[in-house]
Amino acid sequence: MLLQIEELTKVYRGGTRANDGISLGIDEGEVFGLLGHNGAGKTTLVNQVVGLLRPTSGSIRIDGRDMVADPGLARRLCSFQAQAQVPIDGLTPRQAIDLLGQLRGLSRRDVQGRRERLVEALDLAEWLDIDAARLSGGVKRLVAFAMAAVAPGRLVMLDEPTNDVDPVRRRLLWRQVRTLADHGSAVLLVTHNVIEAERSVDRLAILDEGRVIAEGTPASLKGRLGAALRLELVLDPDLVELPVSPFGLSAVPVGNRLMVGVPTDAAGPAVAWAETLKRAGSIDEFTLGPATLEDVYVALVGGSEATAAQVEEVFDATAA
Amino acid sequence: MQLLRSYRLLVTWQALRKKNYLPLMMAVQTLFSLGIVLGYPLLFPTLDRTSIYLIATGAPAISMVSVGLVALPQTIGEQKAEGSLAYMRSLPVARLSYLVADLTVWLAIVVPGVILGVLVGAWRFGLDLQVSPLVVPAVLMVALTATCVGYAIASVLPYMLTVIVTQALVVFVFMFSPLTFLPDKLPGWLEAIHRVLPVQAMGEVTRGTIAPNEFGLPLGAFVTLAIWCVIGFGVTYAAMSRRS
Repeated sequence: MLLQIEELTKVYRGGTRANDGISLGIDEGEVFGLLGHNGAGKTTLVNQVVGLLRPTSGSIRIDGRDMVADPGLARRLCSFQAQAQVPIDGLTPRQAIDLLGQLRGLSRRDVQGRRERLVEALDLAEWLDIDAARLSGGVKRLVAFAMAAVAPGRLVMLDEPTNDVDPVRRRLLWRQVRTLADHGSAVLLVTHNVIEAERSVDRLAILDEGRVIAEGTPASLKGRLGAALRLELVLDPDLVELPVSPFGLSAVPVGNRLMVGVPTDAAGPAVAWAETLKRAGSIDEFTLGPATLEDVYVALVGGSEATAAQVEEVFDATAA
Repeated sequence: MQLLRSYRLLVTWQALRKKNYLPLMMAVQTLFSLGIVLGYPLLFPTLDRTSIYLIATGAPAISMVSVGLVALPQTIGEQKAEGSLAYMRSLPVARLSYLVADLTVWLAIVVPGVILGVLVGAWRFGLDLQVSPLVVPAVLMVALTATCVGYAIASVLPYMLTVIVTQALVVFVFMFSPLTFLPDKLPGWLEAIHRVLPVQAMGEVTRGTIAPNEFGLPLGAFVTLAIWCVIGFGVTYAAMSRRS
């Protein structure tokens, strides 16, 4: 494994346990997603890898070398797109990307060639020579990505890279994320955008309250859910008691909806059950579709009101 | 070699970041100087020769102190709060390169204001200043100490506290620091405090080199500045290198 994290724990002053015994590994050429709610501990983990925070306990190794002992080496081996906007107001994207490339050791000529390819691939040319202070948040995110990608380290960490980016350029960006991995970097992608992650990552871990609660490929996680289909019920606002799923799989409330896992061979009974609920006035409408990674995520982490007990429940249900 | 290369690149980065603010910063510093040299004679219509020289040489000192101890810590505090300082700390460069590069750019911001301050003072009072060549190292020393101490304040304190402390410093520096008056005007206890703090030394070094015919150049002031400079730089460097 290129990046190997073992039993990583970070307790902040004041007692907040932001990471709680996290272990995971990422291979070169792999795009690894780190998913979780706000406050799940994703950014804390990334900041420890890049040497901004000191772990309370546990180890972080890149190519077998101890990053906790040598944060300077960690900064050289990792390129990093932070969650916050990059401080480039006053610089043009051209200047910002070139400076970062040179700071990571590329010659002026090499950085120019790489910058031209990235700018073309991300369709950034029209903003190349405009002061970043006048760029939109989405364009700045793309520039920040280009700064992280122009001279990629062994590990590339991207913290919410697509925030504010328009849908067309998001696709371009994902393609470049894959290119980074194809060229041998390990990519650690931090996001709470589950739908995008499903299409882009090779493997992922779901983080909740500082712990890894699930890890695997999107397909294996969906398999673990035990439901190939997802029935989404839009609940009647006056409904007092949640409908009880007859399928024995996950049933997680998210806002005014109930996400019900349905086995492949139960599509007919699922529609019939939903029709009954609708006639009874318990729900306003329903949708039946293939289960997605989002369903796994929702089943495990739930809505914002999810509790550890609910997660255990889902685990028990899927294991049964 | 690598240190120098990253220093050069970081100076470029930081200078470009601040270029939009440079004219504003210079305007503010000039206004400081103008305010002092034009305002004091309104308060005190009859000024003796020493007071005139104190005001003319105090104006550039105040402009250096105000940038170093007020504008700089507030800017760094903002960068801490918005996360951009953390981003710069995640770059693959030595902390020393980053810190020295940023200080270089801050010095470049301070110096034009000093020159403007001296010119404004000389013009207003019609002074023929016999500026000492030592003014160059002196001004650099004062500006460096002010920026190092300012950096240390912002590095150690949370942002809101930085804002409060720097606001208090404005009042302290303008009203109760011997920059435009001699320290013997202060009550004994405050005079004693100023013998330890760097602000009085900043005033003495500035006026001793801008108007050497009027004021002596106490070597002790240089020593005081050097000590504060090292403390400020050391605290900042430690804070920048620290992983919380």
